[in-house]
Amino acid sequence: MTGTSFEIVGAHETDCGKAAVKKKWWQGKPLLSMIVLLVIFSGCICAEIVMTKDPVYMDLLNYNKAPGREFLFGTDTMGRDIFSMIWYGGRISLLIGILSTVISVFIAVVIGSFSGISPQWLDNLIMRFTEIFLSIPSLLLVVLLQAILGKANILSLSVVIGLTSWTSIAKVIRTEVRQIKSSEYVLASRCMGGGFFHILWRHLAPNFVSSIMFMVVMNVRSAIISESTLSFMGIGLPVEVISWGSMLSLSEKALMTNSWWIIVIPGAFLIVTLLCLTEIGNYMRKNVNRKESNL
Amino acid sequence: MNREVLVDVKHLTHQFHLTKKLVISALDDVSFQIYKGEVFGLVGESGSGKSTAARCLMNIYQPSAGEICYDGINICDKKQFRKNKKILQAKRQMVFQDSASSLNPRMKVADIIQEPMKINHVVPPRGSISKEAEFQMEYVGLDRSFLERYPSELSGGQRQRVAIARALSMEPEFLVADEPVASLDVSIQAQVINLFRHLQKEHGFTFLFIAHDLAMVEYLCDRVGVMYHGQLVEIGPAKEVFSNPGHGYTKTLLSAIPIPDPIRERKRKIQIYEENDWTAGEMQEISPGHYVLEKKGGNQNAEA
Repeated sequence: MTGTSFEIVGAHETDCGKAAVKKKWWQGKPLLSMIVLLVIFSGCICAEIVMTKDPVYMDLLNYNKAPGREFLFGTDTMGRDIFSMIWYGGRISLLIGILSTVISVFIAVVIGSFSGISPQWLDNLIMRFTEIFLSIPSLLLVVLLQAILGKANILSLSVVIGLTSWTSIAKVIRTEVRQIKSSEYVLASRCMGGGFFHILWRHLAPNFVSSIMFMVVMNVRSAIISESTLSFMGIGLPVEVISWGSMLSLSEKALMTNSWWIIVIPGAFLIVTLLCLTEIGNYMRKNVNRKESNL
Repeated sequence: MNREVLVDVKHLTHQFHLTKKLVISALDDVSFQIYKGEVFGLVGESGSGKSTAARCLMNIYQPSAGEICYDGINICDKKQFRKNKKILQAKRQMVFQDSASSLNPRMKVADIIQEPMKINHVVPPRGSISKEAEFQMEYVGLDRSFLERYPSELSGGQRQRVAIARALSMEPEFLVADEPVASLDVSIQAQVINLFRHLQKEHGFTFLFIAHDLAMVEYLCDRVGVMYHGQLVEIGPAKEVFSNPGHGYTKTLLSAIPIPDPIRERKRKIQIYEENDWTAGEMQEISPGHYVLEKKGGNQNAEA
């Protein structure tokens, strides 16, 4: 295929020289946060193995016990073992966090990309609506929605939290989509006959995923916080359903009886989980920014 | 030469509405024909409407007026276009100007080349889709190890080759190249142009080549159209247009080509084209197949 006027360029092996000092895989990664989060996650998933006592059994002889040998983290005002409750309740807290994030990200992707590709006037309309939604304090909205839905359970709480936290992600997606949609590779794909969903999945999504990654991780965090806040205020999960938030909601009584462990231990678990999530989210954001500048 | 018309552009007009009052007319009553199997070049300065014409041909823009017939199908008519959408999208392919932005930075080269085949569910002539991608890569002169790379890891010339391979993987009947070499340096320009020439001879597809480099157009094209301010001022066989330019603007363009000979280069005079030379007129045939836009009333503005 080589002619006199046509020569092949670049058709030879280029050896990519390896970097002089090979970095260990864990270098520059938030290792501590990853390990701690993994321990908490696996502890919650395998709660049956970790638990020493039945978390719902109310041992009325041993209520309000300080941490000791039998009750590792003490017992609460109703005589339940806090160590077992932490793992058992962590499940529900994390489940709500993840479930509501999935719901809100789904809504955000649909509304954000629809708004991004729609004509100017429709885009304006959707975005103004989103801003109105954004300007209402989300706690107020959650209380309102929860009142409409009635008695809270895990699913309804996730839906309510998910419904109120999609706005900021949607705005980011919409901005990204508006930028990408007029780029030439989307045009090229459209010339080749790619439909809307093909373009969304193959071209738009891979390019905006990186910019919402941080927000998604943060969304898990804020969903756990919302759940705790609601439970603390007494409009979240009922006291029988154990979660970190509902454990914290017992604290006003605990503070009066001077039993610190009832409030400190679930609070500490909550804060450690959130810190780890923040750290990982932060790492992802930095990593994405670095990759972007590489392109 | 085969005189069967593939693309017939009739009185094509396209306007951009920037604001309610400000309307820019990018194409103004442009008519030309592209015959089967030929290389048709469009030249002109920046902003003269070459890319707009190409994008109208590819159905990226819906023209404000006029019609484009592709192989007997009026592609500006929405009903006819929708009916023949699948065939048209498989037959017409486009190579964009900026190779960096026409390839998705998050897709591997292999996925980029396979994309049009996957969309159109084509059974490639070389067995599987991945084999076809490998073949196309070697066809445009790239090693198959590049298939596993991302566009950011390739040089500009290599990226443009990937874009060409993507367009060729559909075995197109009609290829539009919108300034495919404008963003490349001179040595790579030569490579890509030679590649186009080679591929066109082998494939025999019809080729619309847009450039603002006249030497390149003279080298590559069979017929040339010269555009100026959204109007087609001259059209004809490349040799005719370059040796015997009819329109004042074409003369100016040609006088601006540098000559690789210092003695003759010093003698070269750059003509200056006066704006008021071009006014709406009619195309006049000055020699077989060579048309020039002339003022109404017939006085030759070539002599002016």
